[in-house]
Amino acid sequence: MTLPSPRAILVLASLVLGGAALATDAAPKKKAAPPAPSRVAPLPAGDKVGWSHAPFEAGDCGICHQRNDPKNPGPLTKSGNELCYTCHEEFAEIMARKVKHPPAAQSCTFCHNPHNSRERKLLVAEQTALCFGCHDDIKAIAEKSKVKHAALGTGQKCANCHNPHGANVEHLLVQLPFDLCVSCHSKDGVSDGRGAYLTNFKKWLDDNKVWHAPVEAKDCSACHRTHGSDNFRLLVAEYPAKFYAPYDPKNYALCFGCHNDKVVSEPETTTLTNFRDGSRNLHYLHVNKADRGRTCRACHEVHASKQDHHIREGVPYGSKGWVLKLNYTKTATGGSCAKTCHETKTYANKAPEKKK
Amino acid sequence: MSAVPQRLAWPALALAAALAARPAAALAAPGEALPNPELPTLEGGKATLLSTRGEVSVFVFARPGQDHSARTLREMAGCVSDFREKPVRWVVVMSASSPPAEVRAAMAEAGLALPVLLDAGDALYDRLGVRLHPVVGIADRAGRLLAMMPYQAVNYCAAVRARVRFLLGEIDEAALAQALAPPRADMPGATPAAVAGRDVALGRRQLEHGLPEKALASARNALSKDPASAPAHALAAQALAALGRCPEALPEIEAALKADPKDAGALAARGACPP
Repeated sequence: MTLPSPRAILVLASLVLGGAALATDAAPKKKAAPPAPSRVAPLPAGDKVGWSHAPFEAGDCGICHQRNDPKNPGPLTKSGNELCYTCHEEFAEIMARKVKHPPAAQSCTFCHNPHNSRERKLLVAEQTALCFGCHDDIKAIAEKSKVKHAALGTGQKCANCHNPHGANVEHLLVQLPFDLCVSCHSKDGVSDGRGAYLTNFKKWLDDNKVWHAPVEAKDCSACHRTHGSDNFRLLVAEYPAKFYAPYDPKNYALCFGCHNDKVVSEPETTTLTNFRDGSRNLHYLHVNKADRGRTCRACHEVHASKQDHHIREGVPYGSKGWVLKLNYTKTATGGSCAKTCHETKTYANKAPEKKK
Repeated sequence: MSAVPQRLAWPALALAAALAARPAAALAAPGEALPNPELPTLEGGKATLLSTRGEVSVFVFARPGQDHSARTLREMAGCVSDFREKPVRWVVVMSASSPPAEVRAAMAEAGLALPVLLDAGDALYDRLGVRLHPVVGIADRAGRLLAMMPYQAVNYCAAVRARVRFLLGEIDEAALAQALAPPRADMPGATPAAVAGRDVALGRRQLEHGLPEKALASARNALSKDPASAPAHALAAQALAALGRCPEALPEIEAALKADPKDAGALAARGACPP
């Protein structure tokens, strides 16, 4: 009888278990790439061994095999992962989690050598290479993107954010994206690869209680492509980096991913936005200009603000770090901005209430 | 699973959600009784936004030709099937200005066979303060809003599913909270106690294989990582008892039974090494 190849086993495992692992992944299903055949035999004599499995190191073959003879240990005493779980009892909880990694559920030995390895955790290959062996789509993003995320190559690498066995969040994330991101992005003085300082988000969100919906939903990945991106700040789509930009819907692809582009393309409206004076659409007025349109960032903080509608307190002015206050005030019928880019201007989007 | 005293849970949940949710309050607020307009549908005729038969209502504001809407409609197709036999009514709401062919294509691409309500002049969109796409709204059987959920790239359907199950009384408030903020999925061996547990498990196997010296070494390994581990003390006691070293076993038995008076390993060791 011919045994199925590891490739066939993984494809089968993906078919059987993929539903559990990916049922909540709304993206079109990715083609499962096969893993490299895993080595379960001990490393050849002379190879540098980094880590050994305790029973193997102690010469206790009989813990897992039918005989305690290193030269002829015989078959395993239990099949598949059940044998591993005899000692690794915590996997009862781990593999009961909602999202399971199909290879882990199928066989620990897809990724781990049960005897010894050059790698920590007895991995059959360096961790990132092991993950990328199947996840070639992520490999391509990580390697080819113009903007890279340092988290992929530091600390626990992929396991900084993913649990390759089982998790309670889609994509085997250890926590919801926000909790993962803020666990690193909560320090002062952290800079990106080009030296630009990155926001201490814990501090910023503590100080600014009006949170943008994706932040509220703990879903940084709605706007950031965490494995790598061609857009600055790992954004999933284009977003104007500057205060002024000629209006082109393509520049606002990130915002229009959720927000209705008509809010900037319709000169008149009574339904698309409350930032209007009567039916005169003030978003259109500010943004939709062929030369110096104000970009979203001119007036809005994208993560969190102190004021409603994510309106920022001030805007940067000049090159010396000055901040020009917006002085936005909400009124009963609309709002006003005072002594800022322009003199005080008031808008009304509803009729004043009649006195009784 | 316990049925939920929804009458009690609702006001607390709505208040908590209202306080926790965006202070900007652009969207309709949790706990609010929603309007239930009758709108024209894509296939002709009319339909209401909410169920009129006492079902839980889920309405998806989406627009054709937008990636997030397409992804959401696909994901909701899976969610809908989870509640096929349950009293849950789903509709999609799209602007009446959307070209009908594009709306049909979007629904077909998602494999979603639901009524599509056409919102003339985006009046309902404005009335509920939606302002973006997609948004999934969930209302209870009486038409009170539980949540308006803007797009999520991660766990969107899971969050919708949990809220619907809450309104159906299938899960309680604590289970809903856990579904919306799932517990951290630690890696194996994340704590010293977890690693010590492996040493103990290995030691037990070694003991079974007649290797008490090695089992004792495993127990010592475990105790070096988790000195208070009752199973590790019990394993040490059993190994020492098997080696006939009862005087050394006694304090291990005591330590194990102090932490867990019913520890079977410690009780077995006490049988072999009575005080």
